[in-house]
Amino acid sequence: MDSIIELKIPSKMVYLGVPDAMLMEVGGDLSCQQKLIDELGTSVIEACTNAMEHGNKLAEDLFVEIHFAFSDEHIQVTVFDHGDGFDYNGWQPPEDLLRERGRGILIMKEFTDELDFGISDDGRFKVRLTKQIVPEED
Amino acid sequence: MKIKERKRDGIAILEMSGKLMGGPDADAFAEILKTQIHEGVKNVIVNLEKVKWVNSTGLGILISGYSTLKKNGGELKLLKVSSRIQNIFMVSKLYTVFESFDDEDEALKSFS
Repeated sequence: MDSIIELKIPSKMVYLGVPDAMLMEVGGDLSCQQKLIDELGTSVIEACTNAMEHGNKLAEDLFVEIHFAFSDEHIQVTVFDHGDGFDYNGWQPPEDLLRERGRGILIMKEFTDELDFGISDDGRFKVRLTKQIVPEED
Repeated sequence: MKIKERKRDGIAILEMSGKLMGGPDADAFAEILKTQIHEGVKNVIVNLEKVKWVNSTGLGILISGYSTLKKNGGELKLLKVSSRIQNIFMVSKLYTVFESFDDEDEALKSFS
């Protein structure tokens, strides 16, 4: 059975490091490669950045909720916000390397094994990031 | 994010620490570059050794700085990029834009 941890943070950028720190704390004890935890942490930071900026429009009274599910096979993180979401199927990677924004989805996609978007039962937009556990090399 | 400024051989070295994530960080970084350019400094080394993580908006700060210096005939290069941040530069292909060094002397030499 998965071990579940839930976090709820205000839509303020200063809190973006909280889910990453949580992941580092628990992930560090999971005898899997640090690179894997770093990549998932970076993806979660991106998901939370989008949730705060685009989903909750940085309204401090709206919270971003993050659910972590840890098992022997994978770590799954789901990020919830109060926005309408977006059309992921129409997403294209940015072609202009000097464009200052628009790399969040690319980073999430590259650093996770599965990336899903959808609407939760209570109507919130959700992003689910899954990373398979790869045992640490001796 | 905190930024410490110093100069060596007419090149500005900006030592960043904390988290590079846009918002007020972007304004602070742009203001420092503006001052440097005003003082005639065109080339800048950004030391990321003490930066814990960067998100996509933080990458935007570096890209904006790169473009600003380029327009003014200068360059922005990176120093001591951690493997975690280097990984982000790889997937976003930004390693093809930013020159990166592990040694400050080597970074300084690259401008001559």
